[in-house]
Amino acid sequence: MSDINIKKVSYLAKLALNDDKAALYEKSLSEIIEWVDNLKKIDTEGVKPLHNITEKNQNIRNDEVVKNNSTEEILSNAPEKAQNFFRVPKVVE
Amino acid sequence: MTTIKEIKDQLSNKKISVQELYDDYYNKAKKSELNSFNQLLEPEYNKQNIINSQSRYDEEKDLPLDGIPLGIKDLFCTKGIATTASSKILEKFIPEYESRVTQNLLNDGSIFLGKNNCDEFAMGSSNETSFYGPVINPWKNKNQINDHLVPGGSSGGSASAVAEKICVASIGTDTGGSIRQPASLCGVVGLKPTFGSCSRWGVVAFASSLDQAGPITNTVEDAAYLLNSVSSYDPNDSTSSNHKRDNFLEGIGKNFDRPITIGIPSDYLKDVSSEIIEQIENTKKHLTNLNINFIDVEFTTTDFALSTYYIIAPAEASSNLARYDGIRYGYRGKGDSLEEIYVNSRSEGFGEEVIRRILIGTYVLSAGYYDAYYRKAQRVRRLIKDDFQRILKDVDFILTPTTPNEAFKIGEKLDPIAMYMNDIFTVPTSLAGLPAISLPSGLSKNNLPLGIQLIGNYFQEKNLLQMASLLEKEFGFNG
Repeated sequence: MSDINIKKVSYLAKLALNDDKAALYEKSLSEIIEWVDNLKKIDTEGVKPLHNITEKNQNIRNDEVVKNNSTEEILSNAPEKAQNFFRVPKVVE
Repeated sequence: MTTIKEIKDQLSNKKISVQELYDDYYNKAKKSELNSFNQLLEPEYNKQNIINSQSRYDEEKDLPLDGIPLGIKDLFCTKGIATTASSKILEKFIPEYESRVTQNLLNDGSIFLGKNNCDEFAMGSSNETSFYGPVINPWKNKNQINDHLVPGGSSGGSASAVAEKICVASIGTDTGGSIRQPASLCGVVGLKPTFGSCSRWGVVAFASSLDQAGPITNTVEDAAYLLNSVSSYDPNDSTSSNHKRDNFLEGIGKNFDRPITIGIPSDYLKDVSSEIIEQIENTKKHLTNLNINFIDVEFTTTDFALSTYYIIAPAEASSNLARYDGIRYGYRGKGDSLEEIYVNSRSEGFGEEVIRRILIGTYVLSAGYYDAYYRKAQRVRRLIKDDFQRILKDVDFILTPTTPNEAFKIGEKLDPIAMYMNDIFTVPTSLAGLPAISLPSGLSKNNLPLGIQLIGNYFQEKNLLQMASLLEKEFGFNG
């Protein structure tokens, strides 16, 4: 059995789970983590982690300013906006 | 069967107009009851595109995909058209820009019918996790004719729509099998190109080191048509490869001028049903006339591929999906503080499987577990890649089944791990970043399509499509 603290994990992921959901996910995660634990059986001593298949040809582009969107366009999808800003509850007291 | 080439010939010869072609597909799509489109665009939207396309035909200056009605997986950002990733959290999201892949398709003259349903954020193997409900496979089990079957996933809407022939072709995405597995379950062709072939720019991100766009089509030649359009270098994607692309149509239907060796991994076949093994035996039989040599090969890492994938993909997903916070776009939950908005937006906006993957990913990346899971999986990923490279030194292609089973009933598989096992044959190739194609190889006893998967070497899609086209001819599969 793994030692998953589902409340802590969901807190880190900014997800709220009621008690039923928490129990469900804790069980599900435990099973999945147990299932992936077979990786312990493969020897990876001295093997370099592979982050990306194309690690040899990562492209870097010139840092050139291009105008490809406007404030208005970006704000068009905002759930709440005010003037030229995203609107959120007061952050600073 | 109507291929892109045949349709283009008919358009060029004035046997049909672009408008008639569009109306035909639009009306069929409108009538479909398989839920394969999240959104069908109103004809008004395509009016100008159709006029422009028709004048290019009239002037004999038609583009490679001119007038071809396509479905687009609802994971590609399309300018001015809702892009939802089949999630509540993006229900009202209307991108202000076009993904590179769909821009290429538009530049080549194609017409978008609408956005294909898919699993939420492409997380699923049955298209049952979509906020817009499950997609239905057009195929029926002849022994349980009333059952609705899954089309596979996550590009289930694309595969179902292509199989039902309510669009000529569709563009999907594949992270661990999301093009090949639904293609197999729906009896159509699905190609996952080499990682880095098609730009990820404007594709809603799931697992960035694995996500790759690719065609779902009725024929191998159609797949080559689409790949010619969507495979291109894009400076906006740092993992996009800037090598010179082949003309993928060049090899279609041609015999190889050299002997070809195909490897069959015995370790893939050890726990599969006789029906699936038959597909491989059948493929061998069909190819005996073509100067193709088969050898047995054996991977040492297959048993670890799914575990590696189910650490790496959720880890990347948990990071990618952190952007959905209810502030800048997407669904916003109620809250009196930023924190409450974040938590409520995410908890109410994401579906059950997406939450599961975020939790797995958050766990394997969290302090104290990072090395044991995430770092470990990345090391195993290198061993998997090396394993493929070792075998591809001796063979031109690797032949495997695409899926361990035929299409199953909607609602039948409830256990996540049982669902993840659907991708057992497609996930290793994804981890290695190699190109692979699924094509229909025959029917099961229940009269459902089964598929085989051919895997090639990096950026060898031209050879892969050539091989697949020869095999397609031999199979003579008619969906």
